[in-house]
Amino acid sequence: MILGDSKPLSTIRALELSEIWAGPFCGCLMGDMGAEVIKIESIQRIGRGPINPPSNAGGYPDDDPGNDPWNRQSNFNAINRNKKSLTLDLKTEEGLNTFKDLVSQSDVVFCNYARTVMENFGLSYGEVRKIKPDIIYMLMPGYGNTGPYADYRSMGMAIDAITGHSFLRGYPDMDHSSNSLVHHPDAVAATNGVMAIASALVHRAKTGEGQFIDLSQAESFMTHLGEIYLENQMQSYPRQRRGNRHPDFAPQGVYKCSGEDKWIAITIKSDEDWYKFKRKVGNNQLNTKIFDTLEGRQENHDQIDEIINEWTYPQDRYDVLNRLQSVEITAGVVLDCGADCYADPHLNERDFFQIVDHPSAGIYPMTGPIFKFESSNGEVIHNPAPCLGQDNSYVLKEVLGYGNDKINQFEADEIIGTVPLPGSDMGGSRRAAN
Amino acid sequence: MPFGALEEIIVLDLSDRLAASFCAKTLGLYGCEVIKVESLEGDPLRQWTSSTQNHGADDSPLFLHLNAGKKSISMDLCSEKGQKLLADLMKISDVVIESQTPGHWEEKGLAYNQIKNINPSIIFTSVTPYGQTGPYRNFSYDELTLFAMTGAMNREGLPEREPLRYAGEIAQYFAGNAAAAATASALFKRTLTGQGDWLDISIQECMAGHPHQIGRRAPYIYAGEPDPRSQPRTSASGAREPYAVGTFKCKDGYFSFLPLGPRMWPNIARMIGREDLMTNSKYDDTIKRSENKEELEAIFQAWLDDKSREEIFQAVQAAGVPGSPILEPEEVHKNEQFIARDFFQYVTHPSGQTLRLTGDPFRLSNTSNPSIKPAPTLGENTSQVLQDLLQMSNKEIEILTKEKII
Repeated sequence: MILGDSKPLSTIRALELSEIWAGPFCGCLMGDMGAEVIKIESIQRIGRGPINPPSNAGGYPDDDPGNDPWNRQSNFNAINRNKKSLTLDLKTEEGLNTFKDLVSQSDVVFCNYARTVMENFGLSYGEVRKIKPDIIYMLMPGYGNTGPYADYRSMGMAIDAITGHSFLRGYPDMDHSSNSLVHHPDAVAATNGVMAIASALVHRAKTGEGQFIDLSQAESFMTHLGEIYLENQMQSYPRQRRGNRHPDFAPQGVYKCSGEDKWIAITIKSDEDWYKFKRKVGNNQLNTKIFDTLEGRQENHDQIDEIINEWTYPQDRYDVLNRLQSVEITAGVVLDCGADCYADPHLNERDFFQIVDHPSAGIYPMTGPIFKFESSNGEVIHNPAPCLGQDNSYVLKEVLGYGNDKINQFEADEIIGTVPLPGSDMGGSRRAAN
Repeated sequence: MPFGALEEIIVLDLSDRLAASFCAKTLGLYGCEVIKVESLEGDPLRQWTSSTQNHGADDSPLFLHLNAGKKSISMDLCSEKGQKLLADLMKISDVVIESQTPGHWEEKGLAYNQIKNINPSIIFTSVTPYGQTGPYRNFSYDELTLFAMTGAMNREGLPEREPLRYAGEIAQYFAGNAAAAATASALFKRTLTGQGDWLDISIQECMAGHPHQIGRRAPYIYAGEPDPRSQPRTSASGAREPYAVGTFKCKDGYFSFLPLGPRMWPNIARMIGREDLMTNSKYDDTIKRSENKEELEAIFQAWLDDKSREEIFQAVQAAGVPGSPILEPEEVHKNEQFIARDFFQYVTHPSGQTLRLTGDPFRLSNTSNPSIKPAPTLGENTSQVLQDLLQMSNKEIEILTKEKII
């Protein structure tokens, strides 16, 4: 292998024991950067949605779950690109020994299940490092591996709440029961997970030492809120909910444009921006001296918003965007995740989407890796998410050198497989129906 | 535990926006020596939210958070001598982090393609709103307008109202964090090969490529599913329990619940002491519970009304129901878990004020994380950095000072 031309992590093999968002996205980013990420799954317990969804269940290609819905589920396929899949029943001795054999051929093990899951399999860091002393081993429970909450269940919503972010989000004129159900922190645990593993890899390259990584999803996200905690300490009044406004800017908001649910976000950053902006809007009501200062605009923000809405309402959002950005006024259209993003000229010019041929789901443009490296000319790899157990043979034969007889026996004993067993459905998928 | 994982790596932080600055800070937490290069006027973020400032330290809370642990060197970056000085620093650095509009450094002869000739193993990380290429590359931005362009805003808020941003500067932090992860990965390869690289990080792409966005984009492209804002207590495609989903008022605040799947139904019934509901034919499957959601929510709310967040937190953990109290930001540092883990770090700023700073996002067992130092004052370390890294004499530094280059 010519290292110089390769992706940053192309010398690394990592074992992922994770589902839902945080762990899988961590593996996804590592795979994007060239690591061989082997997702450890089992046919005894499936984290790929229901195994028998109703025929009208959403989220499958052309609304058809097909004969193997576990290979066709949209969320799973979106977040597991650039990985391999190995099934192993870790509750059997053979399954466990196979995992240990694989550890001896790997650089990294990471897990986002509850803290005690690995321990209960006999795969704590202490045990795993006996097999591979320089292994890098990461557990990423919600609140970290120590402290009174070490064994608390959590998910993105809990982290959003306990860090104070939920308190500050939402409409300032409504109470918190209107807060949305979308929660950001899982993704932060993933980027910090990659940062942690990469840092530990640098240390290993210099010293030969592996280590244990204790990642608290809550603490990870709290580093993104640091100035809010500091403000509360340094200023005499606590931060309140701001909605779409910021105390340094006015006017600022999200304004209605022509078409159903089409919007544009605008921020006037300075008095100079304001003069340019009111010339664009061309409404005499804005030519009041009171509005020429930030304080004046803040005091009359609602009134100014009404005038802006009148101006944007009949216009196409992209027209407003280009009109404002052409004079360097800060603006952005509100894109939805689907049609709008796929149609966006900028994302397309930057090859944000790749045509991916998934063996079961079919050919679709999927969202690509987010890092572009000069050393690969900005080009990205996007291998489809693996089908369940797709790489059993590769891992057992080529990585571990097991013979065909042993592998056949594993299949017969249901230690490995490519079809979930009855009852393996956890019902935990957000797309699961009854 | 002798040293940080990224010890002996010199990071030149040329950022003047949040994401790139946070990228540099995160690298600094794990041992990199981060040298913040500022203009003579200083990083504009020192003045951020000036209208709400009423504290002892002159710099904004945002600046104090983003720059904890960095060294500051200030120089006239418009002058030829200043640019020469910067080139000298780039020559001996391992990483450069910057946030300027594409093309900015080329004019000064300091772009990656120019610097790699004098320092082939430099890692040059560019963190910009829309990346180095494409029609939006020069767009002006802030958190609001950038967040709008990622897909995240369209789903935040109520269907009948305008879409919302998150609280905090979430998109920019996330991209800065992702950039740090990519930079550390590039550093790993560099450790093995000596090869440098240029990273083009687009904040828009980080947030549009976020799991929750790609998790909505895939159902759209697979089956044409739209992506609207939804009512805050509705269950997604019947997956969650139809009631007890979302945020509820309780005795001393609010509590969030997200029970996934029908298997949560008995857990919830037991938690609220109403096992009888489990055998009630009005509620025995998800569809019926959905039809009778209002009744069930009233029962659930009555249970919440006389309980504190702490009591509910204990109850959900015992019952195995996902949920968490909504803390006010001011309560977070008093939380027993974060105290037990010594997460917040208390440092004394040169102004004399003790600052409560967030600690490490993760902990490495075999390497010590250097204790956090306060953010530097403008140019605090100029002489020291020039002496230590460029071996400049006192006299040379004196001349540059007189010429107002530094």
